[in-house]
Amino acid sequence: MIDSVQKTFKAPKGVSLWRDGMRRLFRRPLADVCLFVILLYFALAAFIYICEIFHWQVGFTLWSQEVGPSYQAPCLQNIFGTDIFGNSVFRRMLYGAKISITVALCASFISIGIGVPLGAIAGYFRGVVDEIIVWIYSTLSSIPYILLILAFAVVLRDKTIYGIKLTGITSVYLAIGLTSWVGICRLIRGEVIKHKEREYVLAAKSYGCSDSRIIFRHLLPNVFHIVIIDFSLRFVSFIHAEIILSFLGLGEADRPSWGAMINDARIELARGVWWQMVAATVAVFFISLALNIFGDALRDSLDPKLRVQ
Amino acid sequence: MTQNDDILLRGTGFQPVSSTNDILLSVENLSTHFSTQQGLVRAVQDVSFAVKNSRTFALVGESGCGKSITALSIMRLVPEPQGKIVAGKIIFNGRDLLGLSGNRMRAIRGNRIAMIFQEPMTSLNPVFTVGYQIEEVIRLHQHKSKAEARDLAVEVLRQVRIPDPQRRISEYPHQMSGGMRQRVMIAMAISCKPALLIADEPTTALDVTIQAQILNLLDDIQKQYKMSILLITHDLGIVEERAENIAVMYASRIAELSDCRSLFEQPLHPYTQGLLKSMPRLGFTEKRLYTITGVVPDPLHFPGGCKFHPRCPIGCNDKRCQTIEPLLREVIPGRQVACWYAPGYERPDDPKL
Repeated sequence: MIDSVQKTFKAPKGVSLWRDGMRRLFRRPLADVCLFVILLYFALAAFIYICEIFHWQVGFTLWSQEVGPSYQAPCLQNIFGTDIFGNSVFRRMLYGAKISITVALCASFISIGIGVPLGAIAGYFRGVVDEIIVWIYSTLSSIPYILLILAFAVVLRDKTIYGIKLTGITSVYLAIGLTSWVGICRLIRGEVIKHKEREYVLAAKSYGCSDSRIIFRHLLPNVFHIVIIDFSLRFVSFIHAEIILSFLGLGEADRPSWGAMINDARIELARGVWWQMVAATVAVFFISLALNIFGDALRDSLDPKLRVQ
Repeated sequence: MTQNDDILLRGTGFQPVSSTNDILLSVENLSTHFSTQQGLVRAVQDVSFAVKNSRTFALVGESGCGKSITALSIMRLVPEPQGKIVAGKIIFNGRDLLGLSGNRMRAIRGNRIAMIFQEPMTSLNPVFTVGYQIEEVIRLHQHKSKAEARDLAVEVLRQVRIPDPQRRISEYPHQMSGGMRQRVMIAMAISCKPALLIADEPTTALDVTIQAQILNLLDDIQKQYKMSILLITHDLGIVEERAENIAVMYASRIAELSDCRSLFEQPLHPYTQGLLKSMPRLGFTEKRLYTITGVVPDPLHFPGGCKFHPRCPIGCNDKRCQTIEPLLREVIPGRQVACWYAPGYERPDDPKL
C-alpha cells in the first residue's frame, strides 16, 4: 500500500535556502534589469582585459588613439567629444570601467578574506581572541575612512614587496581592501555569536567536529548570505573610493579612470568643456544605481528575517 | 596508541574491558559548576551512577535539575568558560574520559558515545542536505570514500525507517517533519555504531504518536546494536517499560537511584512519590491530579538542609530536614535514596536534632 502511495505521490525535489532565495530574487523585474546592467559593466571590463592580453585591435578599446581635434564637442562620431589630446572621451569612459571593476573586485576579495575569518574566529572563541580583534577593528574604524585609505595608498604606492612592484592600481585596491574589512568583520562576528548558540552547533560538537570544522564548514555557510548582501552594497563604495583616490592623484597615473577623468574636468570646466565630467558621472551613476537596487533586492530575498510570503 | 586506547576507539563490536562486571559507563561523584554574574551555580553535585552494557539507564527530573548538564559533562561539552567539571570521574570502558586530550575526546564523540537532542527542528544544520550531514559523521570517524559513506547513509536512514531513503537523502532539513528530523538525528547518532547513546529528552518536542514510534525505534536499534542508552527525560511514563535502572534527580543531586520495578512499586523518596502520584494512570478515577506544592528552587539560592524540604509533605517542619542535607545511601540492596525519612536510612551515628 505504501509503495502505491509513493508511486502516485512524488514530492517536489529538494530546494536549498539558497536556490529559494535566487528564485525570489528573479521574480523582481527591476532586480533583473539591474543585474543586467551590472553584468554589462563586468562583461565590458572582461572584454577589455581579453583584448589587451591577445592584442586585439578592437576600436572602442583603443582609448589612446587620436580620433579628432583637441576638445572637440560631442558629435555623432564622438558622442562624448574628445579630450585635450584628441582621444575619444567615450572610449576613455569605457576603459574606466575596467579599472573600477578590477579595483572593486580585488578590494572585495581582500576585505572578505580578512574580515570573514577574523569575524568568525572572534565570534566563535570570544574571550581574549575576541577582545584583540575587536580592539583592532575599533581602532581602524575610529580613523576617518578616506584618510585611512589615503594613508595606506601613499605608503603602498610604488613600493616593492617580495619582489612585486605595487603599481598604481595594485596599491589602490590593496589600500581599499586592507581598510574596509571592518564592517564585514563586525557583521560576521555578531552573526556567529548568535548562531553558535544554536543546537546544530552543539550537535556538530557531539559527533566529533573540531572547532575549525565547526567555524568554516558549519557556521560560515549559515552566515554567508550576509557577506553576499554586504558586498553587493559595498561594491559601490569601493568604486567610489577608487574614484576619490584617482581624483586625488593616487590612482593609476597613465591610464584613464573615472576619477582621473573628473580630475581633468576640474580644470576643463572653466573653459566650458563639460563632456569629460558628464561621461564619467554617467558611467558612475548607472553602476551605482544598479548596484544599490540590486543589493537591496538581494537582501530582501536572501535575508530570512525580511522574508515575506 | 596504547592497547587501552585501541579498545576505547574500536569502531564495531563491543567487548567489556573488565570481566568482573558489565558496566559500560560509570559516573563517579561528578560535580559541574557554572560561574554566572549572579554567582556560582552548582548545576550537578556529587552525582554517581552506572550504565550497564546494552541496557537503558534513565535519568529523570524536572527542568533545570541538572540532568542535561550531566549528559553534557559525560560528552565533555559543558559550555566553557562559564561551566566547569570541578570534581568526579567519568569512566567509559575502563578509562576516565576527563583525563583524555581534546583530540582523543573528539574521536570518541559520535563514534563511541553519540547523543541525540531534544529539539530536532534546530539540531540539524539548515544549509546542508541530511545525507551530507550523515556522511560527515561517517567520514569523520571511519576511513570511507564518499560513495561508501553515501551507501552507508542510505542504509542507516533505512534502519531508522525513513521511507524512500534514496530520495530523502538529498533533501534539506526544512523539508522534513519533526519526527523525520529526529529519525535523521538518530541515524547520525547510530551511523558509527556507538556503544553508548545519550538521548536527551528525545521525544519532548514531538507529539504523542510520533513519540511512541521514536521510542520503539530506539528500542529496536538498541537490541540490534547491543547499545547502551542513557535516557534523559522528565516523563516517568516513557521510562517505565524501558529502563533497567532509574536515577531521579532533584536540584542537581540524585534523590533516588533504584531499579525500575521497585521504584514504581515502592518509591522511597517523597519527591519520587509525588512524581508518581502526579502521573495520570489508566483507570484513574479522581477528578484532580496530585501536584507537588511549591516550585523548583532557584539554583543560585538552594534551600539549606534537604533541598526538597520546603515542598516536602513529610519533612517540611522537621528541624533536621531544614538544616542537614541527607546524602545518597543504600537502604535496600540496589536501592539508594537521600531522605531522612526513608525506611532504613538512619544510622545510629547520625546527628539528631
